[in-house]
Amino acid sequence: MEKYIEFEHITKVFPGQKALDDLSFSVLKGEIHAILGENGAGKSTLLNILHGVFPATEGEIRIDGKKAEFSSIADSIEFGIAKVHQEIVSIPEMTVAENLFLGKEPSRHGIIDKKKMNLETEKLLGRLNCDIKPTDRMGELSTGQKQMVSIAKALETEAKVISFDEPTSSLSDKEVETLFQIIRGLKEKGITILYISHKMNEIFEICDRASILRDGMYITTLDMKKTDRDEIIRAMIGRDTAMFAQRTMPSQRKGEKPVLEVENLCGDAFENVSFQLYSGEILGFFGLVGAGRTEVMRVVFGADPYKSGKVLLNGKELHCRSPRDGINSGIALISENRKEEGILPNFNNMDNMSLPCLDKFMSGAVISTKKKMDNAKKKGSMVGLKPNEPEFMTASLSGGNAQKVILARWMSTDASVMIFDEPTKGIDIGAKAEIYLLMEKMAAAGIAIIMVSSELTEVIGMSDRIYVMRDGKMTMELKRNEFSEEKILNYTVEGDET
Amino acid sequence: MKAIYRKYRREWSVLIALFVTIILFSILEPSYLSATNVATIITQSVTYGLMGIGMTCVVITGGIDLSVGSALALVACIGAQLAKAEVPIPIWVLICLGFGFLLGVFNGFLVGKLKLQAFIGTMGTMQIYRGIGYVITGGYPVLNVPRSYRNVFNFKLTSTITFSVVVFFLFAVVITFVLKKTKIGSYAYAVGGNEDAARLSGVRVERTKMLIYGIGMMGTTLAALIMISRLGTGDPSTGQGYELDAIAAAAIGGTSMAGGRGNIFGTVIGAVLFSALKVGLVVMGVDTFYQYIVTGVVIVIAAYIEIIQGTMLAKKSN
Repeated sequence: MEKYIEFEHITKVFPGQKALDDLSFSVLKGEIHAILGENGAGKSTLLNILHGVFPATEGEIRIDGKKAEFSSIADSIEFGIAKVHQEIVSIPEMTVAENLFLGKEPSRHGIIDKKKMNLETEKLLGRLNCDIKPTDRMGELSTGQKQMVSIAKALETEAKVISFDEPTSSLSDKEVETLFQIIRGLKEKGITILYISHKMNEIFEICDRASILRDGMYITTLDMKKTDRDEIIRAMIGRDTAMFAQRTMPSQRKGEKPVLEVENLCGDAFENVSFQLYSGEILGFFGLVGAGRTEVMRVVFGADPYKSGKVLLNGKELHCRSPRDGINSGIALISENRKEEGILPNFNNMDNMSLPCLDKFMSGAVISTKKKMDNAKKKGSMVGLKPNEPEFMTASLSGGNAQKVILARWMSTDASVMIFDEPTKGIDIGAKAEIYLLMEKMAAAGIAIIMVSSELTEVIGMSDRIYVMRDGKMTMELKRNEFSEEKILNYTVEGDET
Repeated sequence: MKAIYRKYRREWSVLIALFVTIILFSILEPSYLSATNVATIITQSVTYGLMGIGMTCVVITGGIDLSVGSALALVACIGAQLAKAEVPIPIWVLICLGFGFLLGVFNGFLVGKLKLQAFIGTMGTMQIYRGIGYVITGGYPVLNVPRSYRNVFNFKLTSTITFSVVVFFLFAVVITFVLKKTKIGSYAYAVGGNEDAARLSGVRVERTKMLIYGIGMMGTTLAALIMISRLGTGDPSTGQGYELDAIAAAAIGGTSMAGGRGNIFGTVIGAVLFSALKVGLVVMGVDTFYQYIVTGVVIVIAAYIEIIQGTMLAKKSN
């Protein structure tokens, strides 16, 4: 196979920061090529240069032997390079066809030719074998379907290179399967695919080769058939990760009486959920997206109302009507949507950390900046925040560091029950390992931990016990010596009633 | 110094704009900087400023309060009637402040508890408050407020400056303190920055909005009392369009209409700038019709500077 995309000595300098440093590698025609690296390694910067978002400071990109220099995104599309967005941009009120042809609607005598537009759209969607109609309203589609439209758009521009940036982050398993079939189909048509993802199993499933970046530098390109997970991780973070998603200490579970008991809890999206949580325990909650795990946790925390059932903390029944009540009872919920439900974008680190428990930082009726700052420095160093600056704006931190700020926030509340909902979603491997270690330290300090996760390796690696949920019901409880991937998956999908 | 500049770059640019305005007008019209004129500028900025400070509080939570102009008239009418009924002066002040606070809390109830869009909810109360003012006065101004009541806010500190300026200054200091140093202030910024995240961090969003709309309306209440002092009347038709002046003062001062960002110092300077501009145009003898255009252009420019500074900031942090 011939070299199709050649990156030659690409350097990109932002004020005060070198994002890419003399990076050279090439991608073959018609292959699915993963670009891997931790957050901040330079993947997005590299793609942005390829897509004409901004130019490289030095170096050049050649595509099919031709020098590719773009001054705008439109230029790159003209050249045959398309992008399937991480967060799909579309106008929900318009139909699929209207979205696809936005800005280049076919017209006759100045009037939009809807018939032709719908016909063309049907053809494009037909190539993807998906059951979307051109006249469907965009807003009514699922995330997966929206992504199909995004791919159709790439086909419409007759792209020869398509990049996928974390395409599966909000798809169901079935949608992922469909997506992979389509990507393979694109490959067969000779389209070159660039694929960015944090999910290792996906990369092994679909990619031919992977190029690895670290700190803006090119490290190596590996053939997926000849490498393994450990080699890739070593290349990405530059150190051995045998400890990755593994317990480093024995179980810290203490006491005979549970800290938290949930009895026959019923809510909108789940029913008859019962479980116990013990001090020092890490309790895994596994299930598919939509199994009702997040909803249960929100009720326990007080964020949502419940229909019936009981929540007991240290034997006393709780009646949390708001997150404030939950926090006052000593419960913390680290939401899976860090951006939407976690970070205050207008707050710096110390204010983000102190928000749930301002009472602890008062001198009389006045909030003490000094107390907030001392707390931020202390908790920041406990979670390994970089940079550990209390006045740094949290919104400009990387995903892993922003998550650490959120952890520091809930550590500041001295909660006795910490609920982590997808704690490592969208963060890089180095930060993941740090967060696992922190969870263990918290458990060792006697905090009871619930970890809701959709990553099987994470749940198996970290939990003392695992509860499996499916369609709003508990299907299984497993002790550590009973853990096995097959068993868990079995209850996730088929789910015998217990 | 550099750090201070960076933190308050928006306020600096408003301050610079204020100086440029003053210098420009005094070159064009030397009498601009006469003592009476400066006093007029400051006195006028008191009304914009007090209402603007209140508006800033509300806008920080991500809301807006269109009812402040009507509330100004309603409080002025009730205040004038109570004064004529010779209610003891301290109680008179407290009743008016309390009443104004409740008008604001009701707005906060509509927006926070009933989840109305702030624009619509307060557009409703804008009509309601205006109507109540007309009903209780029969549509006629309440005249001849006794001198003793007028003197509360209007006694002269110098030959040209009255106590109302001190009230303005004190209110600005108190609200700055409330926003920066108390829980309710932090909660206001949190709600405006990301309401869902604030709620999940234990902020009682509804209560915060009710309180902040109430506190904000105290600025309008003080402006109403000062208006009674100055004019000796409570006019149910006064204050029309003042909500826009209040928004303008906040916006010129760098308060983000999207919520979560803004401070009182900027609004105070914004109000003075707004006033300096209006007085300047009058002194210059510019036709009233053109005054509207110039004022509008200044607001648009201020908003555009906001955007430019936003992009510059974003570029730097990239």
